[in-house]
Amino acid sequence: MKGRGAAALLVATAIPLLQAQGSDSEVPESIDLSAFPGEIVQQVVIPIPAEIFAVLDKVGDPDWSGGIKHVDTTDLSKDRGILAMSFGCLVAEGFIAVQAESSEDIRQIGMRSLTLADALGLEAAVKSHSMSLIDSAKKNDWLSVRAELDKTQQTVRQAMSQQRDQELSELVSLGGWLRGTNVLTQLIAEDFTSDKAELLNQPDLVRYFRERLTKMDQRLTRVAEIEKVAEGLGRIDALLRDERTLDAATIESLKEITQEILQQFYFEESAE
Amino acid sequence: MIGRLKSIFPKRGSALIAALVAVSLSCGWVHAIMHEGITLALEAAFPYVKDGFKIREDNWSGETKSEKPLLVKHQLFRGNEYWFWAATSFPDSKVTVGIFDDSGNSVGLESFSKDGKAGVRVLPKKTGSYFIRVFAASDKHPKLDWGLVYGYR
Repeated sequence: MKGRGAAALLVATAIPLLQAQGSDSEVPESIDLSAFPGEIVQQVVIPIPAEIFAVLDKVGDPDWSGGIKHVDTTDLSKDRGILAMSFGCLVAEGFIAVQAESSEDIRQIGMRSLTLADALGLEAAVKSHSMSLIDSAKKNDWLSVRAELDKTQQTVRQAMSQQRDQELSELVSLGGWLRGTNVLTQLIAEDFTSDKAELLNQPDLVRYFRERLTKMDQRLTRVAEIEKVAEGLGRIDALLRDERTLDAATIESLKEITQEILQQFYFEESAE
Repeated sequence: MIGRLKSIFPKRGSALIAALVAVSLSCGWVHAIMHEGITLALEAAFPYVKDGFKIREDNWSGETKSEKPLLVKHQLFRGNEYWFWAATSFPDSKVTVGIFDDSGNSVGLESFSKDGKAGVRVLPKKTGSYFIRVFAASDKHPKLDWGLVYGYR
């Protein structure tokens, strides 16, 4: 009887699992990643800061408003690559302001993003997003603001790609990633736990950005600021390469490195 | 071109064809086809929005040979819950989507596959890179467009 009972229990447990799997008979239990028999998709999607911030909100009560930095982005004479990275940073700033639920910060960020987009020749693409951002923030509709920020970045990247500026589009992503990572290091360092620190375990993304920078047109990357970014990414890569568990000292190092990188092109004229 | 569109999207209305023609004129024929997979993947994702899933604007798309699996690498964060949705514009094709950890083991918790659309849910046990496998097969079409989108909460 005991055997039958155990069998019945096994069947009862297995049925929901099978139902959950539905008719998905072609999904294997495991795959050989070293010899995948199909196409490896080269396109990389960079997670948006909001995705990571959502986790931090679940495991703590971070002071998001303390993370917002109002940076002077009015010097539009800079190299286009720098402006593209700054635009990415500004979008990340918007995500921080959403977490802080600060409509005034969103308004300022929305206006700054329009100015930067204008300098990049993308004002038309960004204008409606900026207006929606500001409107939704006024209504405290943070879900819409978050979605609009994602759309803004996507629109800019698509517009750049259509103008054959794929590399600039990648620099937008890099800027957003750097600013998002920087604020995470700040907030995690303030109240360290290994659960929070794990969020920064992103060695593959760091390697991706490094690789992309090396493959970009040198007319774009042979700029002192971008060379410093590449050098900083190399240091981050070295830190994450052997670190399975990120300790407090590593988070401090990541914070310093990202701060130094951002000071090259974004924090330099901080209006704090 | 409209004739070809009608043969590719037999169940879809003239409005969609008109929209695709407009898109193809502005972005090129290939983009129009690729965007259909994304549109349908988003259609699969839509019911999950009410459950709190935020759908990303960024996504993956392309064209593949029938029965040739695709592998997408993507960074996930422990603490978030994710759904990945894949689709082709051919509802009579079979699409499946699975997710694997960095050792190649399936980590999908729930999945579905129906009418050229599929989805898989995952709660990552650790933060890191994961691999999404998309498989599309059709007896009628040797080549299939595909789109993959994801959402998190």
